[in-house]
Amino acid sequence: MVSLTPDLLQAVTKPARYTGHEWNSSGKCHADVSCTFAFSMPDVYEVGMSNLGLKILYEILNRRDDTAAERVYAPWVDMEAEMRKRGLPLFSLETRTPVREFDFLGFSLQYEMIYTNVLNMLDLAGIPLLASERGEGEPFVVGGGPCVYNVEPVADFFDLFVIGEGEEVLGELVSLFVAWKREGRPGGRKEFLRRAVGISGIYVPSLYAPRYDAAGDFCGMERLDEAAPAVVYKRLMRDMDEAGTMEKPVVPYIDIVHDRIMLELFRGCSRGCRFCQAGMAYRPVRERSKERLRSLARKMADVTGYDEMSLTSLSSADYSCLDGLVDDLMEDFAGEQVSFSLPSLRIDSFSIGLADRMQQVRKSGLTFAPEAGTQRMRDVINKGVTEENLLQAVSAAFEKGWKSVKLYFMLGLPTETDEDIIGIARLAKKVVDRYQEIKGKRGAKVTISVSCFVPKAFTPFQWAAQDSLEEFERKQHLLKENIRDRSIQFNYHDARVSRLEGVLARGDRRLSKVIFEAWKRGAKFDGWSDQFHEEYWLDAFEALGVVPEYYNGREREKEEKFPWEHTSPGVSRAFLWTERERSLRGELTPDCRRGRCTGCAVCPTLDARVIDREARS
Amino acid sequence: MSENAKNAVQRAMIYCRARITKDEPLRYISHLDYASMMQRAIRRAKIPAAYSEGFNPHMKLSFASALSVGVTSNAEYMDLELARPMEEHAIGESLRPALPEGVRLIALRVMAGKPKALMSLTDEAVYEITVPLCGAFSDAQKVLEDFNATKECTFLRKTPKKTREIEVRQYLCGNLYAEAAEDDLLRLVMAIRITPGGSVKPQEILALLCERFSLLVHAETALVHRSALLCNGQDLLSAGGAKP
Repeated sequence: MVSLTPDLLQAVTKPARYTGHEWNSSGKCHADVSCTFAFSMPDVYEVGMSNLGLKILYEILNRRDDTAAERVYAPWVDMEAEMRKRGLPLFSLETRTPVREFDFLGFSLQYEMIYTNVLNMLDLAGIPLLASERGEGEPFVVGGGPCVYNVEPVADFFDLFVIGEGEEVLGELVSLFVAWKREGRPGGRKEFLRRAVGISGIYVPSLYAPRYDAAGDFCGMERLDEAAPAVVYKRLMRDMDEAGTMEKPVVPYIDIVHDRIMLELFRGCSRGCRFCQAGMAYRPVRERSKERLRSLARKMADVTGYDEMSLTSLSSADYSCLDGLVDDLMEDFAGEQVSFSLPSLRIDSFSIGLADRMQQVRKSGLTFAPEAGTQRMRDVINKGVTEENLLQAVSAAFEKGWKSVKLYFMLGLPTETDEDIIGIARLAKKVVDRYQEIKGKRGAKVTISVSCFVPKAFTPFQWAAQDSLEEFERKQHLLKENIRDRSIQFNYHDARVSRLEGVLARGDRRLSKVIFEAWKRGAKFDGWSDQFHEEYWLDAFEALGVVPEYYNGREREKEEKFPWEHTSPGVSRAFLWTERERSLRGELTPDCRRGRCTGCAVCPTLDARVIDREARS
Repeated sequence: MSENAKNAVQRAMIYCRARITKDEPLRYISHLDYASMMQRAIRRAKIPAAYSEGFNPHMKLSFASALSVGVTSNAEYMDLELARPMEEHAIGESLRPALPEGVRLIALRVMAGKPKALMSLTDEAVYEITVPLCGAFSDAQKVLEDFNATKECTFLRKTPKKTREIEVRQYLCGNLYAEAAEDDLLRLVMAIRITPGGSVKPQEILALLCERFSLLVHAETALVHRSALLCNGQDLLSAGGAKP
């Protein structure tokens, strides 16, 4: 057990990040279990504790008598410095056990800019960074989360990855481990990994070798072991009502990013926005029943004492029974001072009506994502929303008493022109004017938050070139110049970070060396603007002779082989190409959940189907 | 009659005052976080708490005196307004299992009518500081004798904004006491006055003893504990009850 002395805890900011003991946290004696699993999100406590996936898996594994699951997050830079000074290894929150003593260390990879933190945490734990250098008795380092749809840039650091939803597969992995351990660990870690690929959804990168042609282009994945499948398809829960889930979330003592109950209405979204990796990767839509959600809501409120609940999903307003669910929740929690929120509002007046009913208790701002400033551009990305939809939605909101509206946009989408960028400023101005028309006075607060588009694997834009840094900055400047109303606040992302994200998002295994080198030079917490140092990365690329533009700045050929296609969410390449072609013609593709199948191939490939509760009843 | 006025009439005016602790597992959480922890525990316990009106209703829960990060306490007090009556023992039975490791309910009293606010009642706090000794215990005792012999003693309070000189004896009820504890630890006990014009922190007294009186201790590892909060020398639980 790692001892945290008062002088250490009093020397760091927010010491409660490291002291555990939260309500509903687990704390099993390791001597009583056969498997220990440390779950991590490689970011600070407040971010890591807000991750729904890890909360679910933590509970599911802790329900097993033979397993102790604990948590560990990235120590903030002040704590890291103290730990290194004192020679303290990375430890788990529950039992303060050094992380290197666990059987598994699982990282949730939510975004590319957190990769160097994985390396930093492994180093702090005293675990060799490269999977190939890990010995017997050291933890198996497991990766999961959205980044697994192109995991090659970090492949060298992980023993295995879980592709897709982890509710079932992690239990299967643990059972396999317990059996192997009981047999006396025959064949060592290599043998365990060979056995693990027998579980559907497990990818073991050391059993594959990427091949490059004479020009240095990726030309295919060679399997080094016949047990390794050519394509590892994602695992998914076919029925969300049956799936094990979170019922007793840990209640933190300090404020975390999402400090509320998360009630997951459904998984997947088939609206088919062409830039959106989640929309392609989490198909098909699978809804929970209203009854199941109602009972989960009651249970979680009772065992946590939270007074806030968020109805989460990729597009919560699309839940087919939302109207009835909200009525039921309002009735169930009448007089209990619980506030409900919808994190993603659809752009229509139905959503505003709902938000109004739900926010009887507290009235916060509203957020919409038109994503682009002109109809042409929105058609290219298949965002089936018109300017009229947005203006109707904000009108409804202003009439109901809201004043502040936040709008999300992207810069750098394929085929974008300056006219599309100026369109963002015009649209924001129309929203401001609409307030004045309705209220007869000024007073709206419109925030436009503009990110830089990063093309992602398994989307119709996976072939696209990303804008250059100069182009992004020119566009940001152009937009800024066109915003003249003081009620509009303009926030934009650091294009340097988005460019780097663009490299990692479609990179290959050769980038493992770059990530290692950048970390060695000091890179960590790259997603935190005050911690990001572009020079560590630029120096690393240069030192290794890797040209970043090869990965982010190049339009890819139709037939080019991609280094991510062996870990697949099931969506077919032919569908993605067709979507790309339609996008260039500005043609819309409808949502498949009610209408015609659009042929993305996910359902037949994964033997799954859309579960739409309203359609069924 | 306005909606608010109606509610005010309907308020049950029943209050519950409790003495609770902040033990080792919660040492490093802030006062604000301690308060939200308690609100969640009260909700889990299904105690019928009263809430304020308006767009941002909050639980009508108040505390006596904020405790800093890093300090434990045997003497935290809270007042909770109830929306409807509940028996004392029933409150205790519901609340105890809903409290996390690190909070104990020591005593509880239900009061009819609005009591005087805990914060304005509190006039004295007793602290114990446990700190590793560098020298002999007798040297530490000598330091205390020197300090206790002073009539006035000033301390430079440095905040990020400004530095201010404060006279600390006016905030001490009598003398400081010391005892030797196991493992070469020194235990310092001090009773501090809490006045409308201000007070002094136990950590400041320790710093002053080190800087001005050459007390030889490892001050960076000092553990501070609050052992009592008083009103006219009385436990706050029995002080300032219901107005007639």
